[in-house]
This record gives sequence, structure tokens and C-alpha cells, in this order.
Amino acid sequence: MTKQYEPPKQSWFGQIFDSLFVLALVYLSLMLPLLFKTKEAASAAAGAAAEVVKPTWESLQLSPVVQEQWEKLGYDAEKAAALINTRFDYTIDPTWLAITAVVLIGYFVFMLKVSDKEYREVIAEKFGK
Amino acid sequence: MSTTTGDKSQRISMLKVLNPFHIWALGVGIVLVGEFMGWNFSVAKGGAYGSLIACWVIGLLYTCVAMIDSEVTSTVAAAGGQYTQAKHIIGPLMAFNVGLYLVMAYTMLEAADALIVGDLMKSAAETFGHANLDTKPFVVLTIAFLAWLNYRGVFTTLTLNFVITFVAFIAILVLFLAVEPANPGAVLKHKELLTDLPYGWIGVVASLQFGMWYYLGIEGTCQAAEEVRSAGRAIPLGTMGGMMTLLVAASLTWYICAGLMPWQYLGQAVTPLYDAGTLVGSTKLQLLLFVATAFAAIASANGCINDASRAWFSLGRDRYMPVFFGAIHPKYRTPYRSIIFLVPIAVSFAFTGLLDQVITFSILSGLLGYTFMSINVVKFRKMWPLGSIHRGYIHPFHPIPAITLLILCSATYFATFLGYGNSLLSILAFYILASIWFSVRRYKFVKRADQFTMPWPRPKGY
Amino acid sequence: MDLWDMLSSAAWVISAALLIWIVKDAISVSQQYDEEFLMSSREGDE
Repeated sequence: MTKQYEPPKQSWFGQIFDSLFVLALVYLSLMLPLLFKTKEAASAAAGAAAEVVKPTWESLQLSPVVQEQWEKLGYDAEKAAALINTRFDYTIDPTWLAITAVVLIGYFVFMLKVSDKEYREVIAEKFGK
Repeated sequence: MSTTTGDKSQRISMLKVLNPFHIWALGVGIVLVGEFMGWNFSVAKGGAYGSLIACWVIGLLYTCVAMIDSEVTSTVAAAGGQYTQAKHIIGPLMAFNVGLYLVMAYTMLEAADALIVGDLMKSAAETFGHANLDTKPFVVLTIAFLAWLNYRGVFTTLTLNFVITFVAFIAILVLFLAVEPANPGAVLKHKELLTDLPYGWIGVVASLQFGMWYYLGIEGTCQAAEEVRSAGRAIPLGTMGGMMTLLVAASLTWYICAGLMPWQYLGQAVTPLYDAGTLVGSTKLQLLLFVATAFAAIASANGCINDASRAWFSLGRDRYMPVFFGAIHPKYRTPYRSIIFLVPIAVSFAFTGLLDQVITFSILSGLLGYTFMSINVVKFRKMWPLGSIHRGYIHPFHPIPAITLLILCSATYFATFLGYGNSLLSILAFYILASIWFSVRRYKFVKRADQFTMPWPRPKGY
Repeated sequence: MDLWDMLSSAAWVISAALLIWIVKDAISVSQQYDEEFLMSSREGDE
């Protein structure tokens, strides 16, 4: 039988501190993307200002059935056009894609490696060497 | 073993009172709100057909999850669910991360659910002529009431979940019958409304991220493992049954909504099924859908409190988190301290005003958990081959489900990168920092051999 | 003050009552029972 590892007892203060620490980390990571967002919003607003022509049902060229459903939903041509003309941009930035992939794979490799080391310790103590 | 006295030689435990219906209610209850709202953002990403493809592709992902999970859980029956699996099969740091995925995914989803209840109250008030109702008291009430219910015992909590989830599911069926599916063109206008893929196939991939809404949380069923009467039978049964319910509900929901609303509207609708009910033009149906939406949100928040508190409790019991949280209520037999601790956190998530971020964090934590499962099951079969330990259920075609799961997870990460690249990186940064913190500071408080609680032989290769 | 304002106030009051009840109960449990006993559950116990 190998020698058992005896963990230290944690104080009340330590327990509270540790719970709050994880929470602080969570909030931080929730806030972080906001820094990028404000920049993007500013550039998007500049682009939107270019449109001036007021859309009508005719200019949207919808089939009568589709137009009817829009109207049933309480939309006029102008409001519908705002939704119809919003489009996502799916351009891929290869550098960011590569960085993200490396971080994600690195995270899993790191976690599996450290876990394996700790797991061998657990097994050795539980079942003997 | 159970007792209510304070004798030191006796041990306290949770009550084993649940049956397969409770498991179904826990799983489907958490998820069904996703059919009432959220899934439709996938329509904005890739068009109506893109969303349908996502619905089925992600359905395949979750079928793999349910199969794999049923096998491992039927063997590892403990309150921590996937956390306990990770601890026994991969190792402490992975287990810590999986525990955090569970707590974060469920607590954040709970916050979003409570916000929905608040918004529903606001729109009801508007209908009756009261503009700008403050949603905060209703958000807090939802969380407080459900926490109270959870505190007082799991049986009532999940029985209530069964009732309200069932009502919400029936409402989808009623709506489906009301739109006259046998008579296309009368109410449903699929022919006119459905368009080609607006963004091509890249849009379909992008829609995978929100396609997860159709099923997100079904894997929470195994959190109840310590409280069901027969874990080996009830959990696979409840989970698989739940998965089938969701596949039906998801397909019906898509069919109804895609036949009633232009995709550009559907892609940004807040309550698509309720809107569908409104478009059909019956006040009764509208009311039914309103109630069902509220019920679905409440059932989801309820299940989330149940699952998040069990995960946090298990982390505490093993000292991964402060041991204080590892306590069980002597009368109600619930992890009561974890339930209390998570109340203010859920409320604060709800009030950050960062709903987008919170939901992305929740989905991504789920996705990280599924990635773990695919690695987990491969190791599980290697370390304890079939026949070496008793398995309540053995999933077929191994390792095809594990490989499929890993591929689909990668595609969904890519989808998240397309829509929420910054959030993806910042959430990964959180888990990396938390992992380093755990290794450097927390792990020293953990007893080594005590973590391994299953009556299994030594794993092969260790 | 109309019905909806009253509902809002009622929601605050009920929330507070429920939360106070939970916290009070949790404190009284800690006083009545031994900490070791409360934390004596073991994973995988039948």
C-alpha cells in the first residue's frame, strides 16, 4: 500500500474566497467580448447611413402570399425591408480561425495530459502500485 | 442507507424516489423551451431549409450523446452525472472542467428562462393596456419559487415538471392539428414561403450553432442518477424517450413555423410558436400557446436548478469546490446549500443585460461537454472492456457514435466561430484560467483515492 | 396603482418571503445538526 495523501483542511475564509474567485472569472469572460462589440457596432452604423430610398412592397418584389403573411404579422413594407435587407457576413479570417483552432485543441490536449497524470496518482493510491 | 438522526456512525443520502417519467420530465423539460424560442435564430443564419438540416444534423449529434451517455451512466450512477464519469475515466482536471460546464450551462440557461417569463408578463400587460411593465420582480419570483421548490424535495419538483412539460408538448401537437397539415395551402404556405438556401451551404453550417436549441440539455437526465429508484433502467429509458419526443417536437415546430412566416421574420422572432398561434387567428389557440410558452420556460428553469445544484454539490463533496457545498438537507434530502448559492448567481446573470453572451456561454459549455463525451466513451471501452464490469445498457456500433459526435462537435465549433468568434475565445480563456487555478490552488485540498468510488477493478493500462 | 403594479409588488414580496424562508431553514439546519453528518453522503452508496 502506498502512503495516502492527506489534504490540508481549508479555512472558512479560503472557501468563500475560492467560490468568489470562480464567479469573478465568469463575469470577466462575459464582459470581455463587449470590448470588441462596441468597435464593430460603430463601423456598422457608418455603413447603414448610406441607404436612403424608401422601400415599397413593389420594390421588394414579394409574391402576394408572402406579402400577405408579412402584413398579418403587422409589418409594413419599410419594416419588412429592414429585416429582408439585413444579411450576415460569413467571410472567414484565416488567422483568427487558426488561432481559435489552436486554442481549442491546445486546451483539450493540456487538460487530457494533466488529467492523466493526476489520474495515475489516484489509481496508484486506490489499487496500490 | 438513510437516516434522519444526528448519529455520527450513520450517513445521510439523497432519496431514491424518481421513476422513468421523472427522468423524461427532467430531460425534455429543460429542452422544450428551445422549440418555443431560440431554435429559429438558426433560420436567420441559414434560411428555413438550413434550419431543418441543422435540426436533423444536430439531432444526430444528440442521438450519439444520448446513446453514449446512457451506457456510461447506467454504470456510473451518481449525482454528478458526466462529472463523475470524467473523474473515473479521464481524471481530476477534466472532471473539474466538466463540472463547471454543467454548472455554467444550466445556471445560464436558467437565467435566460426566467427572463422569458418576465418578458411574457410584460407582453401580457401590454395586451391589457399597461405599457412598460418592469420585468424584474417576475424574473426574481420565477427563480425564487423554483429554488424553494427544489429545496423542498426532488419528487414534487420533478412531478410538477412532468405536468407542465406535458402540457407544453401537447400545445405543440394541438397547434399542429390546427394548421390543417392534411390540407397544404389552406393555412400553411410552404410552397410560397420556402426559399433556396440564402447563404448557400456555409449558412447551413452556421445554423448548426442555434440548431442546438432544439435539444440542448437533454443530457441533464443523468444528474438524477442518485435519486432514481433504478438508475440502470430508468435513465436510458427516460433519456431515449425524451430524445424521441424532442425529434418529433422539433420537426413539427419547424413545419408549422416555416409554413406560416417568411424566413427573415422567423429568424429574429422572439416567440415563434406563439406568433404562429396568433397567425392562425384563434384567441383560444393564442392563449394556449402563451401558457405553453410560460410553462416551457418554467419547466426549463426548474430542471436547470435541479441539475446545476447537483453538479455544484458533487464538486463540493469531492472538495473540487469548497466542501461546504457538499451538504444534504436532513429532512428534504436535497443539496440545499448549492441550491441557495446558485440563486443570486442566476439572478445576476439575468440582470447583466448580456443575454446574447450568457446564452452563447451556455451553449458552448454544453458543446465542450459533448466533446468530452466522445473522448470519454472511447477510453471507457478501452479501460474496462465489455464483460469486465456490469453495464446496465450497451450502446451499439461503437466507435461510430463517438467518431460521429466528435466530427459534429467540430462543425458546431466552426459555426460558433462564424457567428460568435470573440465569445468563443473569451469562454475558452475562462476555462483555461479556471483549469490552471484548479491545478495550482484547488487540487491540493482533494483526497486522492477517495475520488474513485465505483466498485470496479483496476482499469487496463494504469 | 393598477392591477399590474400590484402584481409586481406581490411578486417582490413573495420572492422575498420564499428566499427568507429558505435561508432561515438552512441556518437552523446548520445549528441543529452536526456538520460531519450533513456532509456524510458518499457517491455510489446504495
